[in-house]
Amino acid sequence: MASSKPFHVVTPLRVSSHLSKLAGTKVYLKLENTQPTCSFKIRGIGNFCKSWAEKRCQQFVCASAGNAGLAAAYSAKQLGIPAIIFVPQSTPAITMERMEDEGATVCMQQTLEECQNIAKEMAKRCSNLTYVPPFDDPLIWEGHKTMVTEMKEQMESTPGAIILSVGGGGMLCGVIQGLREVGWDKVPIIAMETCGAHSLNASLEEKKLVTLPKITSIATTLGAATVAEEALKLAQEHPVISQVVNDSDAVAAVGRFLDEERMLVEPACGASLAAIYCELTKTLQKDGKLPNELESIVIIVCGGNNITMEELDCLKEQLSSDNGDLVECELAMATWNNPCNIFAASLQKSMGACAH
Amino acid sequence: MASSKPFHVVTPLRVSPHLSKLAGTKVYLKLENSQPTGSFKIRGIGNFCKVMAEKGSKEFVSASAGNAGLATAYCAKLLEIPATIYVPQSTPAFTVERMKDEGATVCFGQTLDECKNKAQEMVKKNSDWTFVPPFGDPLISEGHKTMVAEMKEQMESKPGVIVLSVGGGGMLCGVIQGLREAGWDDVPIIAMETWGAHSFHASLKQGELVTLPKITSIATTLGAATVAEEALKLAQEHCVISQVVTDPEAVAGIPRFLDAEKILVEPACGASLAVIYSGLIKTLQKECKLPRDLESMVIIVCGGNNITLEELDRLKDELCMNHRMKEYVECKVALAKWNHASNSGTFTASLQKSLGACGH
Repeated sequence: MASSKPFHVVTPLRVSSHLSKLAGTKVYLKLENTQPTCSFKIRGIGNFCKSWAEKRCQQFVCASAGNAGLAAAYSAKQLGIPAIIFVPQSTPAITMERMEDEGATVCMQQTLEECQNIAKEMAKRCSNLTYVPPFDDPLIWEGHKTMVTEMKEQMESTPGAIILSVGGGGMLCGVIQGLREVGWDKVPIIAMETCGAHSLNASLEEKKLVTLPKITSIATTLGAATVAEEALKLAQEHPVISQVVNDSDAVAAVGRFLDEERMLVEPACGASLAAIYCELTKTLQKDGKLPNELESIVIIVCGGNNITMEELDCLKEQLSSDNGDLVECELAMATWNNPCNIFAASLQKSMGACAH
Repeated sequence: MASSKPFHVVTPLRVSPHLSKLAGTKVYLKLENSQPTGSFKIRGIGNFCKVMAEKGSKEFVSASAGNAGLATAYCAKLLEIPATIYVPQSTPAFTVERMKDEGATVCFGQTLDECKNKAQEMVKKNSDWTFVPPFGDPLISEGHKTMVAEMKEQMESKPGVIVLSVGGGGMLCGVIQGLREAGWDDVPIIAMETWGAHSFHASLKQGELVTLPKITSIATTLGAATVAEEALKLAQEHCVISQVVTDPEAVAGIPRFLDAEKILVEPACGASLAVIYSGLIKTLQKECKLPRDLESMVIIVCGGNNITLEELDRLKDELCMNHRMKEYVECKVALAKWNHASNSGTFTASLQKSLGACGH
């Protein structure tokens, strides 16, 4: 582990009364969204960057559509080391701006794959340039496992289950390693993914690493086509229950969580919350995959930057294109109540057109 | 201080690049919204309830429109002591439900004052029952000051200024006491309020406690008609800059903060954010009330439960903030949908026509 004060902070663990009521057991939230850079990534990437800075690395290069890149940029700034982040075209402007605010140089390419190839090439050519992987490195897992050591301090008894989201599996690796270290080896993990970014689920089914041909989920920050080999290995050794939810459920969970806990998270995080909102834990209990008497559940609120209110609205729109008319009518209804809105008057007329 | 593990947690202190850019100095956020029960109240009320429980209190009674009551209910549940919370009728249903979820009995009064009277009457009748004040008790300030002790650990150097919101002044008391204990006596505090809930500002101006005849601000959780006497006294001893913003200013920052920091706060908290969003920092620097070279700033994100997206919309409507902004947003959404490849339905065609109507 890197020496001296880490870049991440000890995050609060608090009970959610809403989710506890739904789940029928105490549900704790590990608030990784309160980290600097708004996601758990700073734990692993902070540790990685600090270790490499101690080895006299002079520049960092990273490929990321969001959170890993931001964590790398932040860590680089803390270390006084320059960083280049290659980002795909799909990266939200707000996230690119955040990276630049941390002093990183941001270069855009078409796809994430192109970004990864260019970044790795660059690191190969220059010996003092270090490529910062988003999830697949022991130093990253070492950083992530600190989440569990904190939980051990913060909880009075062993949790009944831990729910987390899986993109590349970096967090999964860190959490399993952490559970082993604190003597919580038997605590089952419910590993959540969205359909269309379900690389772990596919790999577990095939019992070997599977590469998804394409990421089709809107939860882009879960979009690793292949999980880390270590993630598959550990998931086969530890009690891991792999579950997949659809995009709509993940996005709906984001909306509910915002009103109930007043925190805005990405759909990637919504996937974990959907485990309770969609009563998956109850289903797993009925199926005998989880004990009926669960001591408690911990949900890792991974956080994430690629979300704003406008983005949430757009995602809801995108997902309800089948119910397009219904959503538009609801929008019109909401605006009709505002008396000074000329636009609403036109919408009201249009509403007549779709017969509500 | 109560013995054993407190009910509050150590909250993160993180830099906000977004607010730092606007303020021209490093802005730290003390994330009290991440506390159990969603606000800083658990610090002071947690301390108060634990001490009273140790002294043998058999029931807690509180009067609150939100955060103090919820903190009391939460503490009571952990201490396995029954609690009754008197809430004014204006309290949002979801907050009442949260209190009940913690096992508290909830009773209604017309106004917060009436609730306070009923609560205190109840306590008079039973000697081992305790009234839990929302602010204005040394045990509560003692709990709140832990915020500063944490900041001292978390920061490499003394902050240039601390920004916080003032309702009854409980947090202000705790923070000033905490600053003294940390050897940060010379750190100025910008004490934010909204017009219509500016009891502290009025008192400072008069040099004595002033009671507002009525709370007219929509920031109801800042709505203490009279601040604690101790708050006025300490504010006269410490460097406190009292500032007041309008309700629209307090609300305008909320969606901006939500998008930048992914946290939804009440208008009471929005008042503190307005110090940056309304350019007050720069004004104070120009007026030489704050140094131009500010080391850093800490904003206490007090949090709060009385907010949802629907509530935010309702507040904006009430303040007539919605017209232009809503029109603009709707046009943008319609445009985005129009560009979306899987566009379908006759309605969209009508929307396109409507877009023409609002000139986009």
